[in-house]
Amino acid sequence: MAGKSGRSINNVPENPVKRMIFSWEGIMVLLFVLVNIFCAWYSEFYNLKSVLRQMPVYLAEIFLMLPMAYILVLGEIDISVGSIVCLSATISCLVSNTGLPFILVILISLLVGTACGAVNGFILTRFQELPPMIVTLATQIIFRGIAEIVLGEGGSVSLVNSEGFKAIGGKVGRIPYILFLVLILAIVAALILGKSTFGRRVYAIGTNRLTAYYSGIHVQKIRMLIYTLMGTFCGLCALFMVSSSYGANTTTGNGFEMDAIAMAVFGGISSTGGKGNLAGGIISAFIIVCLRVGLGQQNLHPQVILLILGLLLICAVALPNVVGEIKKALKVKKNA
Amino acid sequence: MSEYVLELKGITKIFPGVKALNNVQFQLKPGEVHALMGENGAGKSTFIKVITGVHKAEEGEMFLNGQKVDFKGPKDAQAAGIAAVYQHPTSYPHLTVAENIFMGHEIIVHKMIQWKKMNEEANKLLGQLNADFDATAEMGTLSVAQQQMVEIAKALSTNAKIVILDEPTAALTKRESEELYRIVDHLREEGVSIIFISHRFEDMYRLASRVTVFRDSQYIGTYNVDEITNADLIKAMVGREIKDLFPKPEVQLGEEMLRVEGLSRVGYFKNVSFDVHAGEIIGLTGLVGAGRTEVVESICGITTPDEGKVYLEGQEIHIKQPSDAMKKGIILLPEDRQKEGLIMSWGLGRNVTLPTISQYAKKGFNNEPKERELAKQLLEEVDTKAVDIFQPASSLSGGNQQKVVVAKALSQEMKVVIMDEPTKGVDVGAKAEIYAIMGDLAKKGYAIVLISSEMPEILGMSDRIVVMCNGRKTGELNKEEATQERILELAMEKGQTSKEAGRL
Amino acid sequence: MKQKSTLKKITGSREFLLAVILILLFAIITAISPSFLKPKSLMDMLKNNAVTMVMALGMLCVMLVGGIDISIMSTLALSGMSIGMLLKYGQITSTILAFVIALAIGLACGFLVGLVISRASVPPIIATMGFMYVFRALGYLVSNNGEWAGAAALGSFKNFATSSVLGINAVVWVIILCYVVFFFFMKWTRTGRKIYAVGSNPSAAEVSGINVKNIKLMVYMIMGVLAGLGGALQVSVYASAMPDMQQGGEMDVIAACVIGGVSMSGGRGTVLGALLGSLILATIAKALPLVGIGALWQNTIKGVLILVVVMVNVILQRIADRNALKGREM
Repeated sequence: MAGKSGRSINNVPENPVKRMIFSWEGIMVLLFVLVNIFCAWYSEFYNLKSVLRQMPVYLAEIFLMLPMAYILVLGEIDISVGSIVCLSATISCLVSNTGLPFILVILISLLVGTACGAVNGFILTRFQELPPMIVTLATQIIFRGIAEIVLGEGGSVSLVNSEGFKAIGGKVGRIPYILFLVLILAIVAALILGKSTFGRRVYAIGTNRLTAYYSGIHVQKIRMLIYTLMGTFCGLCALFMVSSSYGANTTTGNGFEMDAIAMAVFGGISSTGGKGNLAGGIISAFIIVCLRVGLGQQNLHPQVILLILGLLLICAVALPNVVGEIKKALKVKKNA
Repeated sequence: MSEYVLELKGITKIFPGVKALNNVQFQLKPGEVHALMGENGAGKSTFIKVITGVHKAEEGEMFLNGQKVDFKGPKDAQAAGIAAVYQHPTSYPHLTVAENIFMGHEIIVHKMIQWKKMNEEANKLLGQLNADFDATAEMGTLSVAQQQMVEIAKALSTNAKIVILDEPTAALTKRESEELYRIVDHLREEGVSIIFISHRFEDMYRLASRVTVFRDSQYIGTYNVDEITNADLIKAMVGREIKDLFPKPEVQLGEEMLRVEGLSRVGYFKNVSFDVHAGEIIGLTGLVGAGRTEVVESICGITTPDEGKVYLEGQEIHIKQPSDAMKKGIILLPEDRQKEGLIMSWGLGRNVTLPTISQYAKKGFNNEPKERELAKQLLEEVDTKAVDIFQPASSLSGGNQQKVVVAKALSQEMKVVIMDEPTKGVDVGAKAEIYAIMGDLAKKGYAIVLISSEMPEILGMSDRIVVMCNGRKTGELNKEEATQERILELAMEKGQTSKEAGRL
Repeated sequence: MKQKSTLKKITGSREFLLAVILILLFAIITAISPSFLKPKSLMDMLKNNAVTMVMALGMLCVMLVGGIDISIMSTLALSGMSIGMLLKYGQITSTILAFVIALAIGLACGFLVGLVISRASVPPIIATMGFMYVFRALGYLVSNNGEWAGAAALGSFKNFATSSVLGINAVVWVIILCYVVFFFFMKWTRTGRKIYAVGSNPSAAEVSGINVKNIKLMVYMIMGVLAGLGGALQVSVYASAMPDMQQGGEMDVIAACVIGGVSMSGGRGTVLGALLGSLILATIAKALPLVGIGALWQNTIKGVLILVVVMVNVILQRIADRNALKGREM
């Protein structure tokens, strides 16, 4: 039924291919290619084989980036994830050392992470007035503090029986299990965020929480779920951390929250909420992984790599703003 | 010496994509109260910001006492004796009243702020205005009216010769407005020239000697208040004559849909009962702050009431959150479109389908073609002036935004639609269209609750009128027995005269 | 009448509550371990927490405008490491010059951070996260890929932390000086009040002619200078400079502010609050071993404390709101 004036409103979307090329994700793909060309030029050892061999160490953090992207889209932040990884890793090591079956170790690691995430979610949904930054700052200190207490004076634990962890660090041919898992989870997470009703609601909450609530969206339920899942993914990340280091200590997972946030933000997911998508986040995560592998092959110190990543992050967020400002200024001039 | 304290000529201000002011002019005589009127979006607020140096005009000249001036920023305007009290108090909630008053021109000796002196001075100014609070009170703890008083004290503290009041009465109760009038009179006696922006004719008649009208970013004219009729003024503002705004069609009333019994929420409202039938429009009115919005928010689960029962089609229902209400068939179209009704940066289509996406999703994933089809259909049904469903909600005018909000409600099977101030900030033309939509909805058998402060709207659209005062229901009137006077009487606090309560 | 309300204002204030908590803490600890109240023990406590206490002032300013800075400990490492290396290789010997250089480096870092946040409108958490990496890495590069500057290399500089004037340690003097300066700056100067204004209502500040961007730039520069000072103090107090010093310490600084009642959304917070907040944290750190709780528990207790403080705050606010509503007659 058309309105009284019979006005017709267009509902045919723009060509999606065209839209994609001129988007941030388009730039990210280009950057991904450039980074790989650069790495290949920079390091003579850089090829598919060596990348596949060396990347698993860096891949575990991508697990954290996926739910972090959801939290950022909500317009919130969780800086306790590194500590949750630490606590999960610690407890899974200790549990594994008691000789429990490995499947239980996995479950316990995931459970510990989930419980920590649920604590965050519980506090944040019960005390909605509190900024997530403060709450997760406190739980960051608490979760790592608990790990410190559990680890005792030595501050570290080594695996006695590392078979199970060795197994999850394994490969199919040349491709490590973790790469499969990362890709599968990344695609699922991206589809849910981008295409599902749940994802749409997450964006709605992140863009205008009140409107979302008035429109009948269960804001607090969704927040609780996402923070809890963030914890679960921390548990997953912890398992792979242990599988590559065969132990845990009080500094395990230090700064992971920053890495996860950096990957997501670099991928165009705004920390102010409601903007960006996981496609960008995933590509940027792989750009960072490739950079780390490539630069690491020439024995460039990790700190220098961090320097480059830090600069990239600042530029990635600052540039669009600066360009936007200039465009706006030009537009005003043109109108006048 | 010029005959005007302030004169602006040929002012043009351009924002990206829009001409906010197009060659407008304005003259202010010394010691007069000059009303500035126009519809929303006519450019009044932008004009004020040009005068106060917040915006810089692309073209035009400004003369102060005959001297050409060129303000680089708000500070220059302040130094020249121009002070503005903005529509939304621009205060610092965490700071004290004295600091708010003296922000930017603190009393300084040897580079040190003199707190004691400042508090004394502030109290003196507040005393002049008959304020009932102390200068050391924290701003955030004051009521809106008190905050406005602080803003005026701030203008006084700069020894301003020109004071601009931008819709100062918009958030005030009648009694508080009366207090404001007194203060404005007082200022005028002191020789201050005042520019008074308001939507209310009452403000203008009570205070102003001349009125300037803007329309669509342009200057329309300046008139002496006692020489222009109400109708002419409206014509100047909207550019057309208004007739037949309220076509509530005759509808056969159906079953009782919603019944509220003894609803109470501590501090907001107490013991409110009413009912709505299918095809009926219930007007819910009262002074601002009477608790109307709070009542419907409790019905829809935005907040939870402390006591009372809600029945839908005779069955008692328990609603804990908005989604429960929507599932049952009750929807609230909130008052603040930008903050509660729409996601301004999203396309229209997504806004419309937001509450219902899961209903036609496939296994949790969005069915976008269907979504687009539905959005188009609903947006056309309410006759939105839009090019496509992807343009952001912020690109529409207030009236069309309201239509999108209505379309949102239509995206699902509803029984009761509650509209909170649906025509607030909507220009006259779009108002008529929204009334037409309401009439259509009633015809289709929806039960409608209309909250409004506008008397003609309430009288014209409602089948029955529920009046609230100070958190309580004070009366219910049939269409036949309802008159402006009756409603006013019920909406007034005891002890107020009907003249005082004129503002609804 | 008037006096009564002033009294009520003081007792109702957050600082009063914190002071009571601090005194209670002192009383309990002294009862268990009387040695705690000895001047030497208190002096040591202040000295060991000098970095956090001084930098809490900068964080106060940053949080007042609604920002946050997590790059501060990297700035500290960069400035501390720079003077450490300069001293080690004999480029400079003067203690004063070392302090000046540290402050200048801090200022430069803060300027960069402030520029990116105020001019390119990058969210503070993201910008400072990036700079956290950058400055830490620069500090590492300055250290010739991980060299330390040990006590022997620092020469007379390390004596600063052990010297005292009028019986009070020089480092403690620095703390006192900073707090006195900031107390006056924040309360009695126009610029100080502008910081509050910007944090309380940025758009109103804009309208009343305050240059919001410049104020934002300024608070990050203040933060940078204090981080530079923190770097010099750190090197002096611990008589060593290493590139990974104080990693993660920014959370302590933020925690001190939060406990001290500084709001994360801006506009609320006082110098006194920052002082009390950091003193409470310092006291707890000092007290746990004294009362027989292992140092291992320190972080957990600190975290729980932050959580309790902010949650109690919310609960009190809710109760106050409800009471205000009940008082409304209908």
